Amino acid sequence: MEINNSYSPIDIAMSGLRAQDKNMKVISSNIANMRTTDNGKGEPYRRIEAKMRAANEGISCVEVDELAEDMSSFKEILDPGHPDAGPNGYVQMPNVNLPMELINMNTAKKLYQANAAVMKRYQQMSETTLELLR
Amino acid sequence: MTKITNNIFDSIEAALKAENLRQKAIASNIANLETPRYRSIDVKFEDMLDKAMQQADIDGTGDVEAELYQPSMTEVKENGNDVNLEVEIGKMVENTLRHKAYVRILNKKYQQMELAAKI
Repeated sequence: MEINNSYSPIDIAMSGLRAQDKNMKVISSNIANMRTTDNGKGEPYRRIEAKMRAANEGISCVEVDELAEDMSSFKEILDPGHPDAGPNGYVQMPNVNLPMELINMNTAKKLYQANAAVMKRYQQMSETTLELLR
Repeated sequence: MTKITNNIFDSIEAALKAENLRQKAIASNIANLETPRYRSIDVKFEDMLDKAMQQADIDGTGDVEAELYQPSMTEVKENGNDVNLEVEIGKMVENTLRHKAYVRILNKKYQQMELAAKI
């Protein structure tokens, strides 16, 4: 007898939930550090994006491939009194864009809900099959 | 330890014991969701049942017992804990469905026996 370890719909939905959970962490980090001018390396906080990837070809789980840094340029604001201000009075601010983060957050929330719905539906389907065993 | 023969009741008994243990493991993992340095536990059963059944084919009987183990490829959080709520819930759903299936099959088997006794 061979044990089939291929993914069940529950495993796949679970991987979706995990990925969106991680994505939510990334988004909250971006929002929390929206005004962080120092990341310990003399630079402001750089926005992070969770890059998703399919775990294998065909029917597949999803996984967070890497937490990629957003390499777009930092915003500059004039604030000569700021301790991190340069000689010309400008301060470099993180490249986080709040509306974008809020939209990403909504997407993450919807995807999480969708994966939970898939898991629930599959559970109901299986219970229908189990009813036949009564 | 459960002896596996070609009798279906043995397999169901072993499986139900394993599901029971797995439910306990999941409960423990969820209870320790935020416990520092807690490592999640899981139950190894299907592989061992496979082995026991192969043995039963040869000798007529095989032993099977569900085993606890700590998965090593899990992602560890900052506090040294590697429990993931989503994973545990997924396991719980699967576990519940399997448990239901086994109980129903057992019930069906008893119904068959009752039917035979009535005739």
